[in-house]
Amino acid sequence: MNNFIYARASSVQDAIARTAEDPTATVIAGGTNLVDRLKVFLEEPSQLIDISRLQMQQIERLPDGGLQIGALVTNTALADHADIRRDYPLLARAILRGASQQIRNMATVGGNIMQRTRCPYYYDTAFACNKRQPGVGCPAIDGVNRLHAILGASDQCVAVHPSDMCVALAALDAIVEVAGTQGQRQIPFVDFHRLPGDTPQRDTNLELGELITRIILPPVAYARSGVYLKLRDRASYAFALVSAAAALNVSGEEIRTARLALGGVAHKPWRATIAEQFLIGQPATSSVFEKAANLALQEAVPLSGNQYKVDLARRLIRRAFAVSANSGGMA
Amino acid sequence: MNQIIGTSVSRKDGRAKVTGTATYGAEHQLPDLVHGYLITAKIANGRILNIDTQAIERSPGVMAVFTHENMPRVFTPTNDWANSQIYETRLPLADDRVHYGGQIIGLVVADTLERARDAAHSAAIEYQEEPVLVTAENATYEDSPPWFGEDFQFQEGTFETGDFAVAAADAPTTLEATYNTETELNSPMEPHALVAHWQGNDSVTVYEPTQWVRVSQGTYAELFGLPTERVRVVSPYVGGAFGAKAFPWPHGILCVAAARELQRPLKVVVSRRQMTANTGHRSQTEQTVRLAANTDGQLIALEHTARTCTSPVEVFSEPCTAVTPVMYATPNLRLGQELAVLNVGTPTFMRAPGEAPGMFALESAMDELAWELGLDPVELRLRNETQEHQRRGGVFSTKNFAACLSTGAEQFGWSQRQMQPRSQQQGDRLVGWGMAAATFPGYRGAAMAKVRLLPDETAHVLTSANDMGTGAYTMVAMTAAENLGLPVEQVRVEIGDSIMPDGGLAGGSQMTATLAPAVMNACQAVLETANAENAQQAFASLQESGRAAYEATGSAAPGEEGTEFTFQSWGAHFCEVTVDEDIARLQITRWVSVMDIGRVLNAKTAASQIRGGVIMGIGSALMEECHFDPASGHPVVYDLATYHVPAHADIPRIEVTFVGEPDLNFNPMGVRGAGEIGIMGVAPAVANAVYHATGKRIRSLPIIPDKII
Repeated sequence: MNNFIYARASSVQDAIARTAEDPTATVIAGGTNLVDRLKVFLEEPSQLIDISRLQMQQIERLPDGGLQIGALVTNTALADHADIRRDYPLLARAILRGASQQIRNMATVGGNIMQRTRCPYYYDTAFACNKRQPGVGCPAIDGVNRLHAILGASDQCVAVHPSDMCVALAALDAIVEVAGTQGQRQIPFVDFHRLPGDTPQRDTNLELGELITRIILPPVAYARSGVYLKLRDRASYAFALVSAAAALNVSGEEIRTARLALGGVAHKPWRATIAEQFLIGQPATSSVFEKAANLALQEAVPLSGNQYKVDLARRLIRRAFAVSANSGGMA
Repeated sequence: MNQIIGTSVSRKDGRAKVTGTATYGAEHQLPDLVHGYLITAKIANGRILNIDTQAIERSPGVMAVFTHENMPRVFTPTNDWANSQIYETRLPLADDRVHYGGQIIGLVVADTLERARDAAHSAAIEYQEEPVLVTAENATYEDSPPWFGEDFQFQEGTFETGDFAVAAADAPTTLEATYNTETELNSPMEPHALVAHWQGNDSVTVYEPTQWVRVSQGTYAELFGLPTERVRVVSPYVGGAFGAKAFPWPHGILCVAAARELQRPLKVVVSRRQMTANTGHRSQTEQTVRLAANTDGQLIALEHTARTCTSPVEVFSEPCTAVTPVMYATPNLRLGQELAVLNVGTPTFMRAPGEAPGMFALESAMDELAWELGLDPVELRLRNETQEHQRRGGVFSTKNFAACLSTGAEQFGWSQRQMQPRSQQQGDRLVGWGMAAATFPGYRGAAMAKVRLLPDETAHVLTSANDMGTGAYTMVAMTAAENLGLPVEQVRVEIGDSIMPDGGLAGGSQMTATLAPAVMNACQAVLETANAENAQQAFASLQESGRAAYEATGSAAPGEEGTEFTFQSWGAHFCEVTVDEDIARLQITRWVSVMDIGRVLNAKTAASQIRGGVIMGIGSALMEECHFDPASGHPVVYDLATYHVPAHADIPRIEVTFVGEPDLNFNPMGVRGAGEIGIMGVAPAVANAVYHATGKRIRSLPIIPDKII
């Protein structure tokens, strides 16, 4: 680890100013992913700007009935919050299926969103990696790639975004509010993270000097029927092989609204809008869910070691919709 | 013996461990300590052309850099397994060759860990790369050479009684299946680490976790050309080892060598990532089992062949077929072991080496045969019991395998089993029941212990043995308390220091059988010295005479009993799995283990050992696997988040019951070991249950969701 300056930001504006003037400065809050990366030389920042003491720890009701979540709310506090558990159970359950209790206690909402994609080739500097050093190549594409992407990957990168929370936020139409030198802007959650394309070194669309300040959850009718289904290699403390966040609003015999996001399949939380649109007006039956699952995966391009993910994702989508149609709950 | 032996006593070292006061190897604080960080190869086969050591030396805080160009002189040890042994017979930094990815190719010493790590990371190294071979399917296998000798493990080429081919040709039922297991990492909680502290050039203290304190001492003495007593190895606590901390690894030799050059105490901690290549693993295996049976299930012929892999710089053959001649009687038995060389780190002992993957193949095949014949798998095993070791000879001293099976079956409710696969359901989940046998040899070595009786009415037991989490401290205290007529609380135990009498090896499940008889003899000797019948009388005479202490050393060793008998522990596992087949979700929901390990010394820690073995076996069954990148050869796991071992949520309640009798032919206390038998048969019990649940026979471990859908 190289030497770096540690500075405590006195305000959001202070943090923005410091990171805007130094492109090699990095913001730290809970540090649960950043510190790991620092220790193995994935990043060598000149400064760590500590924002953990800024006042962004509130969860508050918005006039329209939605909720706003401060960027520094811990994962544990968010998952335990009564309003979240009642109104957005999908989000609470997704968070509790991620990491460990100790990590969730430290990790913030903003930090969870900002964690880097996981790929063993990225995390070990013995390997070449386009994310670390653009242009050197991606050995995962022909290597050990059981855990890698089946959707939206490029010939530069096949890493997947690891967050469970983000899959739920993508399904819930959340909005990320960021502050920067030019003021505030709001980014729809599905547009916050990037696909790798030719710039796999960039995981998000956050610009230099911008800081996540809060997450906005709109009031949505389908939220309470949300289901998060995650399959992993052990029953706790493992990233998703595939996960599915699904929510349906069924009225009478018809699906009025559908939401579907997948985890463990792409460089970002994968929102399956084609499948969602197909479901509107359809009956909530298993054959309909099957078709929706096929639509969601029609562009899947599996690698040598992860063909199982296509089949598994299809099964999880079917099950998640079935549970959601049956008024939600544990899956 | 009856008051303390066999009861449940909590670990004497438990409080120190959970409160953080137990001092592990790397935690020894010494003045002027400096820090080493290993430089590891970024290629997996080839040569080092250049390491820019001058640049490293200019890095802040760096005091020295060691590479193959300035590696201090060390001597080649005898490597006789008794006085000295190193895991990897190529000495560290011996030359410019790189044999496997992540191999140690240098050491940076600096004033802080961070500065040493930074300099090691920035090192500019030029390589000449050669093609790598890490894919076992592409390797060339040859007959496995002998290794320990025929007496200890049986891995030489082939072994045959009768004529397998002829017997199998006429058999009414035959079965052939191939089974695969993946590379597994020992993954102890405490990483490999040591502090080396020289006093001048001719005396050194090594603070290092080791399963065999006195052989570590002897090995370092030979490596550095010193009389044995000039080396002290201190190892009071070992944070797990599972076979990988018995002998010095290259990092340890390098640390001690560098510390001598620098004349400063030096600490080297192997990072979790570096452990993947440099501190051992269990080789992947490919095994084929062929069974031929009568219609009543009696085995006419049995063939078990295994292919395993080793590194270019050490011969280590995973002895998968060692277990086979112990389990089932057959007049036509054929065993074979083959070995291939890959560009991977050196494999080594890992809890039940060979036997655990061997048992996966054998016990899966027996289950397949039971289905083929329409026989209860418990019954099939009972019909094929052997009363002697079919390879080394010798009748089993005690064998209560049948009792393990019947007790386990009863506790589990095995008789309620619906025979057909896919016939048991719980809601929308399939329920499967599986069972498998367990066995492990009873090993025993020689050991000594010193007992002192002190005026404060405590007994003090000293021996070089160690406790790697097994409960050795408590076992020694209980044995002494029993033989001295004292409460356990009045016995103090100090172990893990080479200045103490030779306490033997904690490996091959033999520490209790080795050491407890020596402690017993030492206790009897000290009472004789005191001319007392028990400790209280001795304490009284200390009071009267004003004498400071009574002291005696006792020893114990195996005699000729091994020529007549084979000593073997037995067991059976029964388990239940539920499978949500549609989404490939598997959960183990019940576990019953019944074990015959001779006399149980500490009921609590013995059951813990069995549970630990079951948990590790579940890891092997469901999740543990280390893969190597086919192009570069590097392992593609680097920590305990990428190499999965079970979490609590993966493990059901594990019911452990002991049956059997003291094995008094084996040693005067009648104890065998508990360390390894718990893992034996776990993976096949799970795979057999998965078959019962789903009708799908999974012949390769681990059983990951990819294989269930």
